[in-house]
Amino acid sequence: MSTRTAALLGAALLLTACGGGGRIGDAGDAGDGKRMVLIPGVSAEPFYISMECAFREAAQARGYAVDVQAPAKFDSTLQTPIVSGVLANRPGAVLIAPTDDKAMAGPMRQLKDAGVKVVEVDTRLEDTSIAVSTVSSDNEQGGQLAARTMAKLVGDKPGSVLVLNTKAGTSTTDARAKGFEDEIGKYPNLRYVGQQYTDNEPDQAVSKLTATLAAHPDLVGVFATNLNTGEGASTGLRNTGRTGVVNLVGFDASPKQVEDLRAGAVQALIAQDPATIGRTGVEQAVAALEGGEVRREVETDLVALTRADMDANEEYFYKQGC
Amino acid sequence: MSPDGGRRTWAQRLLGANTLWIGLALLVIVAVFGALRPDAVLTVFTLQSLLVETSVLLVLSVGMTYVVVTSGIDLSVGSVLVFSSVTSATAMNALNAGDATRAGWGTVLVGLAVALAGGAAWGLLNGLLVARAGLPPLIVTLGSFGAALGAGQLISNGSNVSRVPDALTDGLGSGTWFDLPNMVILAGAVTALGALVLATTRFGRHTYAIGSDEEAARRAGIPVTRHLAGVYLLAGVLAGLAGFMSLAYFRVASITGHETDNLDAIAAVVLGGTSLFGGSGSVVGTVLGVFIPAVLQKGFVIVGVNVYWQPVAVGAVLVAAVWFDQSRRRARNRR
Repeated sequence: MSTRTAALLGAALLLTACGGGGRIGDAGDAGDGKRMVLIPGVSAEPFYISMECAFREAAQARGYAVDVQAPAKFDSTLQTPIVSGVLANRPGAVLIAPTDDKAMAGPMRQLKDAGVKVVEVDTRLEDTSIAVSTVSSDNEQGGQLAARTMAKLVGDKPGSVLVLNTKAGTSTTDARAKGFEDEIGKYPNLRYVGQQYTDNEPDQAVSKLTATLAAHPDLVGVFATNLNTGEGASTGLRNTGRTGVVNLVGFDASPKQVEDLRAGAVQALIAQDPATIGRTGVEQAVAALEGGEVRREVETDLVALTRADMDANEEYFYKQGC
Repeated sequence: MSPDGGRRTWAQRLLGANTLWIGLALLVIVAVFGALRPDAVLTVFTLQSLLVETSVLLVLSVGMTYVVVTSGIDLSVGSVLVFSSVTSATAMNALNAGDATRAGWGTVLVGLAVALAGGAAWGLLNGLLVARAGLPPLIVTLGSFGAALGAGQLISNGSNVSRVPDALTDGLGSGTWFDLPNMVILAGAVTALGALVLATTRFGRHTYAIGSDEEAARRAGIPVTRHLAGVYLLAGVLAGLAGFMSLAYFRVASITGHETDNLDAIAAVVLGGTSLFGGSGSVVGTVLGVFIPAVLQKGFVIVGVNVYWQPVAVGAVLVAAVWFDQSRRRARNRR
C-alpha cells in the first residue's frame, strides 16, 4: 500500500468517526403505530427465518402491518443503517436481534427516544435501559442440556469429551460452552479436555478435532457450539472413520443439520425455539403499545433432538422459508 | 533465477536456496512436537489428517504464489472459493431436480466445470481490471472479495447449499488410493504442476520478469497485459478448483467461514520466501509455508497449549521465521 492510499484511508476513517452534532431522527413526522418491524441479526438464516415466519403470523393476527429488514451479514455496521432507515418511518414497535451488545446501543436508543417500543429477540444489549423486553433462549441452559444429552448417549463408557467453540468473546456460544462445562463435571466417567476455538471456520474445526483425536484416542464425545463447528466436526469424524463412535452433539436445527441427524453424522442437536421467540416478542410489543403487562425478561425453552425422537419434534426444525 | 548458473557447487546452491532454511524450521517444529508427544504426533493418523486438511489451502496458495511473484496480490480467493462451490452445488442440484445426492459422475463433471468456470470468470475480471485498466490489485481484488461473496449469497439466497453427490464426496472428499487421500493426490498434482511451470517454462520466466520490473519486461517484448491477466485467471481457476474440493470435503457449500482464506494463503506464500515486492519466490517454498502454521496449530492442540496462547504463538513463530529468512538474505546480498 502506498503512503497516499494509507493517508486517504486514514482520512476516510476520521471522517466517519467524527461526524457532526445533532442526531438523525430528530426531524421526521409522526409514524404509524399500527406497524411492527423485525430486524433479525442476519438475512436468510434458518433460525431467523423461522422467527420471521412466527413474527409475521402473530403480528398480523393482532392487526399490525409487518415488515422485515435484515442485514446481509451479522455485523453492526450493516445493521445500523437499517435501524436508521426503520426509524425514519416511525413504526409502533421494533423487534431486533442486536448484532453487537455495545455498538447497537446508540442506534437503538434513537428508536426508543423517538417513541418506538423496542423488544430484543435472541440477542441483547449490555445496556438494559433501552428495550422494554428481551426474549431469548438461555444459551447456558442449552449447554447444560447438551452435556446431559451427551452423557445419555455415551452411557457408562469412560472417555474424553471436547468442546469446539467459535470465536473467543462471542457471548452466545461462550455461554453454551460454559453451561456444558459446568454440567459435564457431574459425570465422573467423562473427562472434559477443554474447549478449542475455531474462528468459526469449518476447516479449523476439522484440524482441531483430529489433533484432539491424536492426543486423546479415547475421545467419546464432541459438543459443537454452532453450525460451522458442527460441520467441521462431522467432516473430521467422517474422514477419520469415527462417525458414530465419537458422539457429536450440535447446536441449532437448520435443515442441513436435521439431514445430518437423520443420516447419523450427528447424534443429537440442541434446538432453540425461534418461532416462540418471535411470537412472544410480538406479544410483548403489543402489551407495551396497548398497555398490557410487559415482562422485562422472557426465556424460551430448548429441546434436545436425537435420531430416535426427531420425528415427534418436527416443529422444532428450523425453516428455510415460511 | 541464479545469476551465476552452473558455476556454484551443489552444496553452495543448496545452502543458498531460499527454501532450505524454512524447510529446516519446519523440521525443527515437527521434531519439538514429536519429542513432546511422540505417541500422538509421529503417527500415520496425524500425518494423513494434516495432509487432507491443508490440501484446499495448498491449491489456493499455489495460485497466490504466481500473483505475488508478479508483485500483485489477490484478496478475493476465499470469496471466489465460496462463489464456485455455491454455483457448482446449485448447478448439480438443478440438474437433478433439487437433490443431487444420488447423482452420477456426469453431474459431478458438470459441477467441476461450473466451479472452474466460476473461478475463471472472477479471475479474468480481476486480471482485466489490473492489467488492462491498470488499477491497483489491492483495490481490484478487495472489490471482488466482496462482490464474489455477495454473488454467491445471491445465488444461494444466503444459505448453505447441501445435497452434494455421494459419488463426489465419497470419491474425492473421503476416498483414498493406497492409503493416500484423494484430496491430497489432487492437491499434490496441482502443486507439482504449478511448481514445474513456474520454475521451468517461459510462462514462469515471464512471471518473474514482470514481478522484477514490469516496464523492463514490456520493453523486452513480453506481452505484459496478457500475461498479467493470465496470472490472475490462473489464481481464479485454482480458487474455483479449491471450492470444488472443499465442496467434496465438507459435503456442503458454506457461505460463511472463508473470510481469512486470503490472508492464510498470502501468509503461506510470504512465509515460503516469496517477496511481496515480486520477482522472486517458489512454489516449493509456498508448500512449506502452508505447512508451518498448520503443523503449529495441530501441534499446539496435541501438546495442550492454552487456547488463548495458540494464536499468539502461531503469530510469533510466523513473524520470527520471516525475520530470520529476510536477515539471512540481506546478509547474503551484502556479500
